[in-house]
Amino acid sequence: MSANLNGRLRVGVGCFALLLPLGAGAIEPGYEAFEIYTASSPSSSRDATWKPGDGVTLEVSGLSWIGPDRLGVTVRKGEVWFIDGVLGEDRSKIGYHRFASGLHEPLGLLQDGKDFLVVQRTEMTRLQDGDGDGVADGYLTAARGWHVSGNYHGYAYGPERDGKGNLWVSLNLDMGERANNGVGWRGWALTVDEKGQLQPMAAGLRSPCGFGVNLDGEMFATDQQGTWVAATPIHHLRKGVFYTNQESIETLKDPESAVKVTGALPKDCPYPEAVRAMPQMAPAAVWLPYNKMGRSGTDVQVIDQQGKFGPFDGQLLVGEFTNSAVNRVFLEKVKGEYQGACFPFLSGFPAAVVRLAFAPDGSLFVGMTNRGWSSLGNRSYGLVRVRQRGEVAFAVKEMRAKPDGFELVFTEPVDATSAGEVKSYSMESFTYLYSGAYGSEEIEKAGCEIQSAVVAADGMSVRLKMKGLRELFVHELHLDGVRAKSGEGLLYPVGYYTLNRLP
Amino acid sequence: MLVLAASVRAEPLVTGFERFHGEVATREGGALLYSELGCVNCHGAGPGLAVRQGPVLGDLKGRVNAEWVAAFLADPQQVKAGTMMPGLFEGLDEKEKAVQVEAVTHYLMSLKPTGKAAKPKVPKHANAERGSAVFHQVGCVACHAPTADFHPAAGAPKAEEFTSRPVPLPELKAKYCVLSLAAFLEAPDKVRPDGRMPHLGLSNEDAMDIACHLMDFRPSDPREAAGLKAFAVEAAKVKRGGEIVGKMNCAACHELGGAEKPVVATVALKAKVGGCLTGEAAAGRPRYALSAVQVAALELYLKGAPELAVAERADLTLKAFNCMACHDRDGVGGPDVARNRYFVGDEGIADAGRLAPPLTGIGRKLRPEWMESVFKGAGRVRPYVKTRMPVYAAQAKALTKMLGEADKKELPKLAAGDLQAGHKLLGIAGGVNCITCHVWGDRPSLGIQALDISQLDKRLQAEWFREYLLNPAGYRPGTLMPPLWPGGVSMVKDVLGGDAEKQIASIWEFIAKGEGLPEGYPEYVTGAFELVPKDGPIVQRTFLNEVGAYAILAGFPGGLNVACDGETGRPALVWRGRFFDAYSTWFVRAAPFEDPLEKEVFAWAKGSDAEGGGFRGYRLDKGGRVNFLVTVDGVGVEDGYEVAEGTLRRTVAWEAGAKEPGWSHPAGVMMSEVKGAKANQRVFVYSWK
Repeated sequence: MSANLNGRLRVGVGCFALLLPLGAGAIEPGYEAFEIYTASSPSSSRDATWKPGDGVTLEVSGLSWIGPDRLGVTVRKGEVWFIDGVLGEDRSKIGYHRFASGLHEPLGLLQDGKDFLVVQRTEMTRLQDGDGDGVADGYLTAARGWHVSGNYHGYAYGPERDGKGNLWVSLNLDMGERANNGVGWRGWALTVDEKGQLQPMAAGLRSPCGFGVNLDGEMFATDQQGTWVAATPIHHLRKGVFYTNQESIETLKDPESAVKVTGALPKDCPYPEAVRAMPQMAPAAVWLPYNKMGRSGTDVQVIDQQGKFGPFDGQLLVGEFTNSAVNRVFLEKVKGEYQGACFPFLSGFPAAVVRLAFAPDGSLFVGMTNRGWSSLGNRSYGLVRVRQRGEVAFAVKEMRAKPDGFELVFTEPVDATSAGEVKSYSMESFTYLYSGAYGSEEIEKAGCEIQSAVVAADGMSVRLKMKGLRELFVHELHLDGVRAKSGEGLLYPVGYYTLNRLP
Repeated sequence: MLVLAASVRAEPLVTGFERFHGEVATREGGALLYSELGCVNCHGAGPGLAVRQGPVLGDLKGRVNAEWVAAFLADPQQVKAGTMMPGLFEGLDEKEKAVQVEAVTHYLMSLKPTGKAAKPKVPKHANAERGSAVFHQVGCVACHAPTADFHPAAGAPKAEEFTSRPVPLPELKAKYCVLSLAAFLEAPDKVRPDGRMPHLGLSNEDAMDIACHLMDFRPSDPREAAGLKAFAVEAAKVKRGGEIVGKMNCAACHELGGAEKPVVATVALKAKVGGCLTGEAAAGRPRYALSAVQVAALELYLKGAPELAVAERADLTLKAFNCMACHDRDGVGGPDVARNRYFVGDEGIADAGRLAPPLTGIGRKLRPEWMESVFKGAGRVRPYVKTRMPVYAAQAKALTKMLGEADKKELPKLAAGDLQAGHKLLGIAGGVNCITCHVWGDRPSLGIQALDISQLDKRLQAEWFREYLLNPAGYRPGTLMPPLWPGGVSMVKDVLGGDAEKQIASIWEFIAKGEGLPEGYPEYVTGAFELVPKDGPIVQRTFLNEVGAYAILAGFPGGLNVACDGETGRPALVWRGRFFDAYSTWFVRAAPFEDPLEKEVFAWAKGSDAEGGGFRGYRLDKGGRVNFLVTVDGVGVEDGYEVAEGTLRRTVAWEAGAKEPGWSHPAGVMMSEVKGAKANQRVFVYSWK
């Protein structure tokens, strides 16, 4: 495949007349998945000599819906593709069209009027198609000014627009050779103003691989487990806060830094102590416990489909790299700050899940690439479409904090007997060690005594009262005994609530 | 989990016997059994095949569960149907048997490895599903049963398509833990130095993934897998066990580790019938559950002289190692219909793209030093065949010598060759078009990607090469390699007068001594990731030495290239020739700083434009020009590059009304200026040899 900037390139893939469902049982009941495009590589994803399979190297790094039946995709090797016809039933009618090339590992895509914005390693770029031939001819610098050392880990993500119209960009920390995290906003989330100037907003991130806006228009980002990051957190991005990672602490001395820190920095202490010791530190809105919920969170996508994707509108979907899965996050505001719970949701994707986007018809597009790390998927990269169809599994829909316990809202009426019994539930809380080590064990574990479980009259919710709730701790709830009215058990009888504040 | 349920047949499985000598008793079959069942290890006077041992038993404690060891000792055939391990506690009453088995177990679990036991790396991630794919691809199923989860593209085999039982696996979950099985798979030669379970060159990751597959361990972190069950050895039992092991002569087959080497006693054969052959239980006599045909074959062998001719030895040795599971030799062997389904590779090269090459005449085909290196794990020349040639490092020398002697045959010598003619014949300009199908060094072929022929002289014996080219199908029936000299007549009449002998010799001559490429290679055929501008410019960002992390490269048709610094906007480098290999930029996780594909690169001389004053992007115009939008001396500039009449043309256009910035040019390059440019524009032409 020769790169030709002036020519239009169409690559036909596959010759299957019908969309091929993924293997049975791969996706939760009520959701069916179709492989739009997946490819294997002849080499393993961590191999230094990795090579792609034939056809379009669709290592998805950005997904954006840009027309009624047109999906825009950035791929890691530096291209933007437009994919047409993905909402039909006939995979042979899907068209692949390359819009831009030669970019440096773009990791996001956003339509902006007639133009497209991508963030590549060195800058945010405006892609223009001046002559209207369907291929970009203008690659205009839209924002830059962050430091680029040439270290491999210095990924740059975005842009993503919040409810107020701000364009967000986030920057990884370097790791290893050439690493330089002390300058140029590494580990920050920034916004870009209309003049293309960077506005550093929030610091202390490590590898904020994806973000997304909730229904309030607020921006949330994932981070990934590593140094100073115990597990996958979901952070609420806003000005003037610091999250966890101190490797780029020098950047706080920059006169333009929106975060000012005085006094000693907390270290080697339980995370709640660190949060209390450092007023600028914003606790993670939700922790996704390591291994229990996956290993590395990626994209954030709010469910805003008016019920077309199940009864979870307003909740966030969070991509999961290693486990090739999609998790679900419920958020609520308590004393002015977001916090909430996470639940396992969709799994069995054929490669690491990196990007998520809803199509106009309410189906979810899942973009994948394994390269450089590993996942449970057996393909190297690709694109899968997930549709909600039929009854969703019996699940805990919402988990809300109460001053003396939690309120659980279910997807269907519960069996009053089992759900009303205290012994159907168990809860333990834990936190992490806040340190520069890579990840953290769960520490300071303690059980919570469940005192009562009261089923609401309509059977849709249960009020748990308990002893031993601890602020800033993760509360792991198991509901092994709870049955639906139909007798069905929960597909995932577990939820993890990050109780930063008691209401 | 296994496709084939454990067989009810319980006689020891020597695959080479069951498959090729299992119907009618023969002396050869008996010789194979005598060696492979380890008879020779106690009784001596064998057929001279490569030594067959049992597993090394030092560090048994670090590898397997004691409970399994005890169960296996008590009834090997019950625990692993088809095992070659005989029952050793026959003829004892149950109570005494239990006491002895326990004592021997304690003794074996007390053994220490002779060397330092290497702790293999434990990867943080494992993937059982991938392990299944690797297990079914690299050759494990040439001997062992496939597992039911895996569906070969060629369709699942039917039970009757298997010509021999699979080499049995014990209940792996009882015997191993995930980590110990992975460690075994990564270096089986440490435990099985006799090569019957050969080293496959599995990577750390492959071994772990296969172990997780076989143990059905699904989580992604293998460090969470359960370990071996703890076992405390008791000194008294160890002592008793040691005495029994000495008496049983276990050291005849097993290395027992430890400092002192146990004495191996030779047990002279008193009679050539009865004894172990009867299968009757008797105290002190190992019990093999031999089949009637096995007994008959052994008796036939024992009646004659033990020695075998070298050709017979070679034949039986290849059967002993089960080489025939993958390889055909003189029309015998190769994968059976069932196992054939698991051999995958490049379909473009037909069966030769997925099956191991025949061993017919292998001793006169390969140069001995090459053959030895193949046995030692080097010399992998068929990357498209996914089944891996195992490593037989310890046996390499002896096997090479034996096959050389067995296949020795006087073949006509090669005639004198002509380099020039070879250059032409290999190529596609009036030659026999070898490079149409064959890879040449790092150059892909023009069609199917068949074996690299640029180094054949290192591998092959010249006489065999001649014989093969005259009749390729004689060596490998069904090969895609056409007879280019059918009946010894050349189809190319105008080279060396059409003399087939001289032509073949000339091809050899060029392969051995020629320099450069065969004739008619098209202008560089790219590796898949070399960017070759054809219809217009190609722009690619990368990390580039001499330019930095913001480098933007533009290559133009005709081999003219420029690099700009996307941070400062300075023009940085020009070069002629090949543009850029994007492989690392596109696909390497820790991508290095790159270089242009040519060594001769010219950098901009000092000047205000060479400093750069800011970068605002670039535009591509319809005419094939790349315009970098930069700032020089505080003035906005479009700094455009294109190819015109074989030269690199640079058009600089600055803001109307602004003072003209200062320009400079690449040092070492001829510069001329095109007069009559528009206002606020200058046009420079760069040319150089």
